[in-house]
Amino acid sequence: MSAESVYTIVDDLGALLLFTMILILAAGQIYRAIYAVAAQSLLIAIAGGVLATATGNVDLWVIAGVTLGVKAIALPWVLLWVVRRMNVRREVEPVIPVAATLTLAVMVVVMSFHVSASLGSVRHAITGNALPVGIALTLLGVLVMATRKTALHQMVGLFASENGIFFTAMAVTQGMPLIIEIGVILDVILAALVMAIMVLRVRSTVDADIASLDRLRG
Amino acid sequence: MAETLLWVLPLVPTVAALAMLTTGDRRILSAIDVGSSAVLVALTLLLAREVEAGGPRSLGVFRVDDLGLVFLLLLVVLTLAVSIYTVGWLRQAVAVGNMKAESLRSYFALVHAFVATMVVTVLADNLGVLWIAMEGTTITSAVLVGYHGHRHGLEAAWKYIIVTTIGISFGLFGTVLIYAAAADVMGGAGTMSWSAIMEVAPTLDPGIVRIGFIFVMIGYGTKAGLAPMHLWLPDAHSQAPTPVSALLSGVLIKCALLAIIRFQTVAAAACGPAFAEEVLLVFGLISVVVATPFILAQRDLKRLLGYHSVEHVGIVALGLGFGGAVGTYGALLHVVNHGITKALAFFAAGTAIARYGSRDMRAIRGLFAVAPIGATLLMLAALSLAGVPPFSIFVSELLVLRGGIGHAHWVAIAIFLVMVVVIFAGLLHHAGAMAFGEPAAAASREPEAWSPLLAMMLLAAIMVLLGLTIPASVDGLLRRATEVVVG
Repeated sequence: MSAESVYTIVDDLGALLLFTMILILAAGQIYRAIYAVAAQSLLIAIAGGVLATATGNVDLWVIAGVTLGVKAIALPWVLLWVVRRMNVRREVEPVIPVAATLTLAVMVVVMSFHVSASLGSVRHAITGNALPVGIALTLLGVLVMATRKTALHQMVGLFASENGIFFTAMAVTQGMPLIIEIGVILDVILAALVMAIMVLRVRSTVDADIASLDRLRG
Repeated sequence: MAETLLWVLPLVPTVAALAMLTTGDRRILSAIDVGSSAVLVALTLLLAREVEAGGPRSLGVFRVDDLGLVFLLLLVVLTLAVSIYTVGWLRQAVAVGNMKAESLRSYFALVHAFVATMVVTVLADNLGVLWIAMEGTTITSAVLVGYHGHRHGLEAAWKYIIVTTIGISFGLFGTVLIYAAAADVMGGAGTMSWSAIMEVAPTLDPGIVRIGFIFVMIGYGTKAGLAPMHLWLPDAHSQAPTPVSALLSGVLIKCALLAIIRFQTVAAAACGPAFAEEVLLVFGLISVVVATPFILAQRDLKRLLGYHSVEHVGIVALGLGFGGAVGTYGALLHVVNHGITKALAFFAAGTAIARYGSRDMRAIRGLFAVAPIGATLLMLAALSLAGVPPFSIFVSELLVLRGGIGHAHWVAIAIFLVMVVVIFAGLLHHAGAMAFGEPAAAASREPEAWSPLLAMMLLAAIMVLLGLTIPASVDGLLRRATEVVVG
């Protein structure tokens, strides 16, 4: 693959990633947000495969495979399992209306591209538009967590944020060292498990959702 | 020898954690706890001697220099104090049903896993390993924060794990950006090793490093409890079991500060010291200002100490932000002083809370009458936290101030002084009301347990010593650590 076509593919994948992020932000029901974040992780895995072919770096294949297995399949499956276990029917309203969230999201994306455009030499270090897309995904994940009070939405926001970081990390000249990426993914798995256990524990011990825990103030 | 110690150190608490899973007996667990912490202290002192004689050592992804050693020494001393404190604290907590006797093994194992991850953050040379260990501290300590299993504890634990995980994912992004800048300069695969990045730091692209440092500052700043990312801190530090509160406040937020300092040195080399100092100064000032009203209005004793940590992390950031040798030395000394004093304060507060069965400071009255030694130690800690001479925090605050005067940051100094004076008055008011007066009828009049007192006296002795004089060996270590930061 020529360098130009890799740039084009990475940019196209970046656009699709931003699209899945919009789906997450706009999702009313939690299972839609989970499917959207699974699709997003799948795109990250594809990006890993493309960059692996382009650079000939075998480590990136491993990372793409692990991303596919863990973030596109296993973690969404765990989230859906928790959803079924908790039998969530009631939808908690977002803190601010979805339309306002989407407006904020557009501003975040524009700002990310603006900041990255001001960096001249970034094109040498990071392929294509991976940096602005990564920054946008990371910030939008935080936006999801700030505007949704339910535990599962917050976890989806967290995974989306981390997808943004992975996308940028893959596009750095040769990708990050394999051992570090594996360690990071292990941390993500552990954190997700602990969070899932906490959600269930809150349900079973105090019979409440995380969203209704709001007594600690001041 | 020293190289071997680098991988043995994190292994000690790991092995202890595994050994603890095999038994449920409280005495054996406490023995392993204290034993492993004592071994950790001994090995660290050995390592300190080797480093003093032969300079920084590295082995694979681990490296120890004088800067890391300052934090490592604080970590192991506080771990030992926590282990000693836990012996008596646990006996009481099991008796009143705060801790379940059958789940003790998982508690101890988690505490030591938590210590092991903190040791790795301090020893990590590879910035990726640093991040992984930092997230490891979140995962292990989040379970500990919610360990009591009641509604407030679980709320605090959830807030803690969500806010800090999202926070340090910013830290990972910043790490990736700085790695990208380094890979661009080095060509090929690049490296994530801090010492290798430092060698090429002056040639890194300042634009990427600047954005990377801001991401890192927000990320590890969340973990350090700098305002406005501190929202999880008062909850987590107040809801956790007391020994865990002491570790969180005394050590963990300092580990995050070390991570910030590592990136500060990279940023200072790449885009000049002024940029990183300005960022630190802003976060430091916000923290000091934000913490003040909450300290004054607080009724919950442990929350008070939590907000106090926000203030003191802010002071460390101010010291680093004022920069120069004096400001940086003051900030590092403040890291040590605040860690020791805050752990002492949490210990004393924990015993007082257990005695009165309430964390509301209006219910805790006349502590001197029912527990004279504990009350004295609580007063000592409060006086030191408020910044009264001749205690240690007064000395480091003065040094930070001098650093600011040296670089003529007059506005920042004025704000800092006003806040410190206000907090001084507020804290002494709270502490005086608790120590003096008629004790409430509900207060337990049991004699004071020896092991918490021993742990507190150990810390109080260090606190008083560092206030009166800084021993030559400590001074030398701090000076060399300052050189690592300011070059």
